[in-house]
Amino acid sequence: MVKELTLRIITPERVVLDTTAESVRVPATDGSMGIFPRHAGMVAALDAGELIYQEGGRERRLFVAGGFAEVRHDTIRVLTSAGEKPGEIDVERARAAEERARERLKPHRTGLTAEEATIDIARANAALRRAILRLKVHGYAN
Amino acid sequence: MASVKELRVRIKSVGNIKQITRAMEMVASTKLRRFQDRAVSSRPYAEEIAGLVENLAGVLGGEVENLPLFNDGAGSKIAVLLVSSDRGLCGAYNSNLFLELERWIKARKEEGLTEADVDFFVYGRKGFQYLSKRSLNVERFLVDPPLEAVSFAQAAATARDLVTAFLSGEYRRVELCFTAFESMVKYVPRVVSFLPIAPPASADAGAGAESDVILEPDAETIFDSLVPRYLETRIYNALLESLTSEYASRRVSMKAATDAATDMQKILKGQYNRLRQEGITKELLDIVGGVEALK
Repeated sequence: MVKELTLRIITPERVVLDTTAESVRVPATDGSMGIFPRHAGMVAALDAGELIYQEGGRERRLFVAGGFAEVRHDTIRVLTSAGEKPGEIDVERARAAEERARERLKPHRTGLTAEEATIDIARANAALRRAILRLKVHGYAN
Repeated sequence: MASVKELRVRIKSVGNIKQITRAMEMVASTKLRRFQDRAVSSRPYAEEIAGLVENLAGVLGGEVENLPLFNDGAGSKIAVLLVSSDRGLCGAYNSNLFLELERWIKARKEEGLTEADVDFFVYGRKGFQYLSKRSLNVERFLVDPPLEAVSFAQAAATARDLVTAFLSGEYRRVELCFTAFESMVKYVPRVVSFLPIAPPASADAGAGAESDVILEPDAETIFDSLVPRYLETRIYNALLESLTSEYASRRVSMKAATDAATDMQKILKGQYNRLRQEGITKELLDIVGGVEALK
């Protein structure tokens, strides 16, 4: 019998996904990380990115907005502030967010202290990354 | 004794009030269910996060106690996040909360603090009005977005604000004053400590059990990003529990009002019928008397 992983994607608002998978790839902060059955216990910090898992021989993806993955006894719990399946992604919102972030990254803005500007740019970059990733995952909807 | 006409008007207005309170009762039930569902579905996340904090604190051991969020702040003041309601007509929900708050203030005074040493962050118009009337310091009144439209993102922003305030060195501690939801008929106002974070009880026990876990990239990094999430879930949970309590309380008090209106209607109806009967009897007597006189 082929061993399977239990995959649970948990957000503050709801449990997005509770399924079994043959393998899972999570966007860890140090790069994408593959997890197969009988993986050692692990806690990993996650970046915003794509989570890819094999379910019934089919590859499925979803967007996670950073957080943590906990692997224990062939169960993966992903704790994230937002997890969205391709069909659930609000494309309009993601496009608008991308637009806003690009606007904020334009160099002409003034009236900010150096520190504020640094934080602002970091935030805009993060927002831009999330927007682009959302759109990318959405591209797999069909 | 009221006239027949006056009674008729009163019966009607009691009926109107009853309709309104019944409608409010139903609205409260629906909202109660919604907030309760949300509280339930937020639980897995909160539990997992709390579990991870405990495990990692075990792995990190004594280092945890040196982190700023685990120690009293540099200041002398105390910040309190007060979660009240925006609207009234919810029974003793707010007054119970304020009673608990007064008890807490009294206890602080015995520790040598004054009312000026406490700054409030407030959710809910009722709480803001109360603090203003008591002329206590309102540091911030959180109205946008309103409490009822609470989302995790908003709770997270409030948590960040509180952490920033705590780390600014102005405060020694941050407390939460909210209503804990225990059951449909039991909601208890409570003041609990938010910051500094109490070191997990199992700090020693957890070390042995979970030390063979791979940590990616390392314990410190994970812990640093985990702790804010933990604090966010605590605020979110406090807001949801308060909202659930508010609507449970509102539903009960609206049900009581509807029942009272029903009783009142019955009494008034009885009075009205008796009076009407009396009137008819009197008229009949007049007619009979008149006929007798004509004979």
